[in-house]
Amino acid sequence: MTSTIDAAPVVTDAPQERPDPPSARWWRLAAALGVLIAFIWGVSGLDIGADALRRAPGNIWRIIELSWPPDFPAVLERGALGKVFESVYIAWIGTVIAAVFSLPLAFLASNNVVPAWIRIPIRQLFIIIRAFPELILATIFLAVVGLGPWAGALAIGFSSIGTLGKWSSESIEEVDDGPVEAIQASGGTWLSGIRWGLLPQVFPTIVAHWLFRFEINVRASAIFGLIGAGGIGGEISSQVQFRNWQNVSAVLIMVVVMVLVIDGISGAVRRRILAGSDRGSAEASTEALGDLGGFLTRRRPTAPGSDA
Amino acid sequence: MIEFDDVSVTYRGGVKALRNVSLTIDDGEFVVVVGLSGAGKSTLLRAMNGLVPATSGSIKVNGTEVVGAKGSQLRQVRSQIGMIFQTFNLATRTTVMNNVLMGRLATVPTWRSTLGLWPAADKEAAFEALERVSIVDKAYVRASNLSGGQQQRVGIARALAQEPSVMLADEPVAALDPVTSHQVMGDLQRINRDLGITTLINLHFLDLARNYGKRLIGLREGELVFDGDIADVDDDTFREIYGRAITPDDLLAADAAGGHGNG
Amino acid sequence: MRLAGMAMADTDVADPTVSATVRPRKPRLRARTVLIAAGVIAFTVYSAQQSGWEWGSFITVWTNPLWQRFWPIDWEFVLDRNNVLDPLIETFQIAIVATVIGCLLAMPIGFMMSQLTAPNRPTFIIVRSIMNVVRAIPDLLLAVILVAAVSIGAFGGAIALTVFSTAVLVKLFSETIDGADPRPLEAALAAGGRHTAAVRAGVLPEVFPAYVAYSAYVFELNVRASVVIGLVGGGGIGRVIEAQRQFFRYDRILGILIVIFVIVMIIEQISDAIRRRVL
Repeated sequence: MTSTIDAAPVVTDAPQERPDPPSARWWRLAAALGVLIAFIWGVSGLDIGADALRRAPGNIWRIIELSWPPDFPAVLERGALGKVFESVYIAWIGTVIAAVFSLPLAFLASNNVVPAWIRIPIRQLFIIIRAFPELILATIFLAVVGLGPWAGALAIGFSSIGTLGKWSSESIEEVDDGPVEAIQASGGTWLSGIRWGLLPQVFPTIVAHWLFRFEINVRASAIFGLIGAGGIGGEISSQVQFRNWQNVSAVLIMVVVMVLVIDGISGAVRRRILAGSDRGSAEASTEALGDLGGFLTRRRPTAPGSDA
Repeated sequence: MIEFDDVSVTYRGGVKALRNVSLTIDDGEFVVVVGLSGAGKSTLLRAMNGLVPATSGSIKVNGTEVVGAKGSQLRQVRSQIGMIFQTFNLATRTTVMNNVLMGRLATVPTWRSTLGLWPAADKEAAFEALERVSIVDKAYVRASNLSGGQQQRVGIARALAQEPSVMLADEPVAALDPVTSHQVMGDLQRINRDLGITTLINLHFLDLARNYGKRLIGLREGELVFDGDIADVDDDTFREIYGRAITPDDLLAADAAGGHGNG
Repeated sequence: MRLAGMAMADTDVADPTVSATVRPRKPRLRARTVLIAAGVIAFTVYSAQQSGWEWGSFITVWTNPLWQRFWPIDWEFVLDRNNVLDPLIETFQIAIVATVIGCLLAMPIGFMMSQLTAPNRPTFIIVRSIMNVVRAIPDLLLAVILVAAVSIGAFGGAIALTVFSTAVLVKLFSETIDGADPRPLEAALAAGGRHTAAVRAGVLPEVFPAYVAYSAYVFELNVRASVVIGLVGGGGIGRVIEAQRQFFRYDRILGILIVIFVIVMIIEQISDAIRRRVL
């Protein structure tokens, strides 16, 4: 038998000095306390009497009881199904409008296409558009083009330009510049460099962005009805107004089904598009999971305001 | 005492990881398990604490049946068995202390561990475990800031904190350099000697097995093909266990630059 | 020379025995692609018609005299404490309450919704399905219903946003958990811990930074959303905007929006800073 390497013994009974717990714990405690204080301040400001607070769960439960069973026949008679489809049309047209306008703008906002003096103002434009809550934009368009779905479609269209512009330009910037260089080296114009070098690479990703925005916009268009801009929202508003809770639940279920169906179809199409294209870096914008860095580009339809 | 009685493990998908393995290990023994990758070494260890459910047969640890054990009975058995992993299995984003305290999870009420209000006795046990592996000065250091050898020592401390009667080590040195590997093997030897904890170690490197082991168990394709004293082992034994000739890859010493001429 | 007569390829002359002399036909567009494209176009046209498409709008929208009403901005009104600042504070408070409660709820629910940490399969499936349905409800629709149910605007809005926050956070959080390292959890279970304790000790440290970052993000969302909730009766600055809109006081609305924009920018900066520190 040969000897083992003479490593210094690690396992011992020798007395050692125990370190003190770190001060970082106090920071965490302070943060938790801060959140608690903010919360209490928040609740106090809401001016909810203890009385109302006590009655609230009971009220809500009562409404839930009154909502069952959902009254589909009554709602369908009132044309709710048509309204649901109308919401889809509005969302679709709005997304199409936004796609058409945002595509060239996105290129104009990418650092591998235009110099900074063009790019920065366009980026600012996107930010300003995104700062406008969609619903408020819709109310303004109502005053301009009158009541009805067209106001909603325009509102969705214009506000989506901001988000789609941002996402698309980010994807364009991520793309490999090699083909563009090759085209320019062989004497092609700048425009054909973009058209044949960048666009084919990034197009699947951009289409995926469009579809994802469509999913968000379907939710938004359902809401627009609340202010008279077309779609199913108006139906919910009036049913709630008249406290026809069974109608409300019926409409709500229809909305949920619509959203889930659209999410499912759009999600499947998106996955196919991205799988079909080369697994380029742009794909990370829809596949990043559990990656905190990727979460900022993570796409998940939630609600109108929620574009990262 | 650990008793395997005709134990077989078949994974979903039909892979037979263990076939009719029977063996007995007395308290305080120091056992080394060798075999090719896929021979069933890892399954053997994991069957002992129920991480892998045995398909048939019986495994008794200190008299308690492990096969089919559930709930608090299973947790009881597990608390008596400390496990050391090849990839250390530490929660890298938190402190060494919090990792070692994981060893006390079986004895501390859930609400206490959830809120981090560990009783003094358990904190004491954690400190003592850290002192035994000489790393207590790193108690509040983030686990990911430690070297591989240090992380494995934390893993050992975590197992020691359980105050276990059995220690299982699944290829504990496979991810470590030769010097650190010898350190860890020496540590495990000393723990077995000083605390009398029954120790089972899966090893990839045959020279380590020969240098440190007292009893050798050899597995081939899920079957027990050797069980005996290390003194009775020679290269032919290994050849039989592996089913092929020994290569330099099977020896740790071949790794070390400049070699030590072991084995 | 027979070059003129032969259909000879310019390349591949190396091996004359290979019939690389016939030029391949350009692949025709697959029938399926054409069909899909046609369908999409048809659907778009139909949607346009159903939505009341007017080509003129794209121009008239910008030339409408309405835009004159936006300028000059009535700063006197906007900067008056009662008119704008107090409702803004209320908006803020709604956002905070909704975020805090939503985040607290999202942690256990998120763990139940992830394959790695769900205590058992039925829980996993049930919780996941319920949250998927909840996520499909547009937040403002829920707000309208709740406001009518509890009859106090701000309260109803807060509840609606809480539900919304929980749904959003839970999805992001559970996906993070899905991607977390399962090995510390294995170690904690091997040491004999109960499921909850093992998850708390083995998984939570790994996913906590992401949780904090997502919470900050949800807070941003809530601030924007609580502005809008006021439009449908949920209290806060939205009510003021709606009231001013009915009087066509767009000069005030623009001022309010600018103030909101500035505040949201500030919050975004703080939120980004938090996310950077925590990462």
